[in-house]
Amino acid sequence: MSAREERPGASAGVAATREPILQAESLSKSFQVRGGDRFGRKHPVKVLDDISLTVYRGESFGLVGESGCGKSTLARCLLRLLELSAGRVLFDGVDLTTLDRDELRALRRRMQFVFQDPFASLDPRMTAGAIVEEPLDIHGIGDERERMRAALEMLADVGLTAEQARRRPHAFSGGQRQRIGIARAFVLRPEVVILDEPISALDVSVQAQVLNLLSRLQEQLGLTYVFISHDLAVAEYFCDRVAVLYLGQVMEVADRATLFRSPLHPYSVSLLSAVPIPLAGGRARRASRPQPIGEVGSVVERPPGCPFEPRCPVGRGREICRTQRPAMSNPAEGHLVACHFPGEAPLSAPHKNGGPPADLAAPADAGE
Amino acid sequence: MRLLRAPDRAAREDAGDAHGQAEPAAGASSELALSVRGLSTVYETGGATVHAVRDVSFDLRPTERLGIVGESGSGKSALALSILGLIEAPGRVLDGEIVLGGRDIARLSDRQLGAVRGKEIALVLQDPSTALDPVKTIGAQIVEAIAVHEPQLRRAAARKRAADLLREVDISHAERRLDDYPHQYSGGMRQRVAIAIAIANNPSVLIADEPTTALDVTTQAQVLALLDRLVDEHRTAVILITHNLGIVSDFCDSVAVMYAGRLVETSGVDHIFLAPGHPYSEALLKCVPNPERLTEGPLPAITGFPPDLSSLPTGCSFAPRCPIGRELAECHERTPQPHRVSGPAGEATVECHFAEQRIREVRV
Repeated sequence: MSAREERPGASAGVAATREPILQAESLSKSFQVRGGDRFGRKHPVKVLDDISLTVYRGESFGLVGESGCGKSTLARCLLRLLELSAGRVLFDGVDLTTLDRDELRALRRRMQFVFQDPFASLDPRMTAGAIVEEPLDIHGIGDERERMRAALEMLADVGLTAEQARRRPHAFSGGQRQRIGIARAFVLRPEVVILDEPISALDVSVQAQVLNLLSRLQEQLGLTYVFISHDLAVAEYFCDRVAVLYLGQVMEVADRATLFRSPLHPYSVSLLSAVPIPLAGGRARRASRPQPIGEVGSVVERPPGCPFEPRCPVGRGREICRTQRPAMSNPAEGHLVACHFPGEAPLSAPHKNGGPPADLAAPADAGE
Repeated sequence: MRLLRAPDRAAREDAGDAHGQAEPAAGASSELALSVRGLSTVYETGGATVHAVRDVSFDLRPTERLGIVGESGSGKSALALSILGLIEAPGRVLDGEIVLGGRDIARLSDRQLGAVRGKEIALVLQDPSTALDPVKTIGAQIVEAIAVHEPQLRRAAARKRAADLLREVDISHAERRLDDYPHQYSGGMRQRVAIAIAIANNPSVLIADEPTTALDVTTQAQVLALLDRLVDEHRTAVILITHNLGIVSDFCDSVAVMYAGRLVETSGVDHIFLAPGHPYSEALLKCVPNPERLTEGPLPAITGFPPDLSSLPTGCSFAPRCPIGRELAECHERTPQPHRVSGPAGEATVECHFAEQRIREVRV
C-alpha cells in the first residue's frame, strides 16, 4: 500500500518540523493511594514512570494505550495542569516546572486542551458564544466587541451559526458540543492543542466530521496536536508519530508507517493485532491471530522488570524481562523501543501487509 | 404496515447458505432459535410518538451470530429490549410476533415471560459495572440467577454450578473468587461474570448489547473468544448489537444495519464489506478510519443528522442524507420496499429503490 506512506496526513498542510515544541524529560507522576496495608495508610503509586518524549512543531503526535496506561495523566502533566513528581516539561524551550502561577497562565494561552466528554466540559448556564469568548476575557484580549466578533468567527469556523451562539449547551447534539469545546480551545490561537479522546464520546458518523474539522483547523492555523486515543485505527489515520504507553511507561515511539506496519515492541504488536478491522473475512482473520494473554495490569502492582512481561508472548517468564526494566533503544532514526527482545513477535498479515487477499479485495467504492 | 415475511426469511436462509451452515427445513419456524415478525415499538412522550422500532422482522437460526449495527438513536437497543419484553413506560410494544422455542413470547404475561427471560433468552449489557450489584458477592449473584429458574436446586449444588460457570468464563481460582465483590474484579472480568450469569441457564438466544464497548481492545478480543465458545459448545444463537463494524466482521456470520427503527439491509456478514447495498451501510463503512484502506484527505463523513423518530420524513428515511437520493423526488416520496439482491458474497435484502442497480454496478 504505497498510498499509506504518501497519504497526506492530518498535518500535511503544516509540514511537521524537527523543532521541538513540547518535551518531557524523565517525567514521573505519583498519586497517594489509600490502602495497601490493613491500616489503610496512604502510599504513593507511580502512575507515570520516567517518561521522555519530544513533540515537534506542526505534527500530530499520538499517545495510545489501554486504560490505566497513564495517557490522560501524561497529557495533563505536559501542560502542567497536574504537578509533576519528578522530571520536567519544556514548552518551546521553557521549563514549565520552574514557572510561577502568573508566568504559567501567560504561557497557557499558547497551549490548550480539548476534553473527551462534550457533555461535562461545557458550563450548562452559559451560551455557546459566551463559552467561546471566555478564554479571551480571561486573558484580557481585545475589547468586548472584538471578543464577541472573534468568538462568532471561531464558531463559524467550526460550523455553528451566530444564531446558535445564543443557545446553551443542552440545545446541542454531542458533535455540536464538541465543536463548541474545540472553538473554545482554538479561539486563543494556541500553538499546541492536547486532544484527549476528542471523538470517543461521539457517534461514528459524527466522529468523521470532528476529525475532518480538526485536520482542517490544524492546516489553517499551523497547530501542533497531541492526540490521545484508545482507538488505534483513528490514531493511525490522524497521527504522524505515535507513542505506545503501558502502565505508565513508554513502550515504543515511531512514525505512523513504522509503528503500524513494523512495530518492534511485543505490546504494540498485541495491541494492533487485537483491533477488529471492518473488512470481509474477519472470523478467519481473528482465528489466525494469537489470543492476548491475561488482562491489562495495574500500576499499583507494576512488575519490577518490563511492565508487559506477565502478558508478553516473547518475554513471559524470561529472567531478564522479569527483573530488569528494559532501557530505551534506538533501532532506527526516530524509532524508540523499550524491550529486551525487540522484533521477536512480528506483526502478522493482514495487519502488516495491507489490504485483504486479492479475491476479497472487491471495491467498496464501486458501490457508488 | 408492510409485511416482510417472505423475502426477509428467504434472504436469511440464503445468507446462511453462503457460509455453508446447516440449514433448517425451509420456513419451519420451530427450528429457528428466534423469529421476529412485524415488531413495532413506540415511546409516547409529551404528545409526541417516537417510533423507535418500525415493523421489524428477522429470523435467527441456532448458533447464528447476527450483528445489528447502527448509530445511537437508530433503535437497536429498543429492539433488544422489545424482544426481551423489557420496554418500560412511556414506551410500549405496539405490535409483532416474537417466536422463541415454538411460541410467541410477545403474547405472554409478565409472569410467564419472567420464566422465559434469563432461561431461554438472556441479555448482556454494555457496562459490566452497572449489571452487577456492588453489595452482593459474585457467587451470590450467579446463584440467584440459577435459583430463579431452578428453585428446587440445593444451595451447595447451585454454588458448585456457579463455580463451574466462572471457570467456563476463564476466571481462575473460581471457588475462591465466588466470595469476591464486583469491585475486586477488573472490567473485563466483570463482563465475563455478566456473561456467566446470562448463560447460567443455558439460553438458546443471547442478546449482547455493545458487550465490548467499555473494554480495552485486548480484553475485547478475549470476550469475543468467550462468546465463540458459547456458540460452539452450547449451540447458543447470539445477537450482537454494536456500532463497530470491525467487531461485526470479527464475530458475526450475518448482519443487519438499522436506521431510523428499520433494518435497512440484512445479509451474510461479508456482503456488507464487499458490496454494501444500502447507501447508509456504505456510508457507515466508509466514515470510519480503516487501517487497511486509508483514504486520501478527509474522511467521507455522513452529512446531516438522523431523522426525528417522532416526525419521520415521507419516503426513505435516509433520503435527506443520502448521496444518491438527496435530490431525487422518488426517494423523498416513496418508501422503498425490501429488494432481494444477489452480490459477490451472497444475497441481501435492501430497502433502497436503487438496490438492484447498485449491486449490478458492483459486479461490473
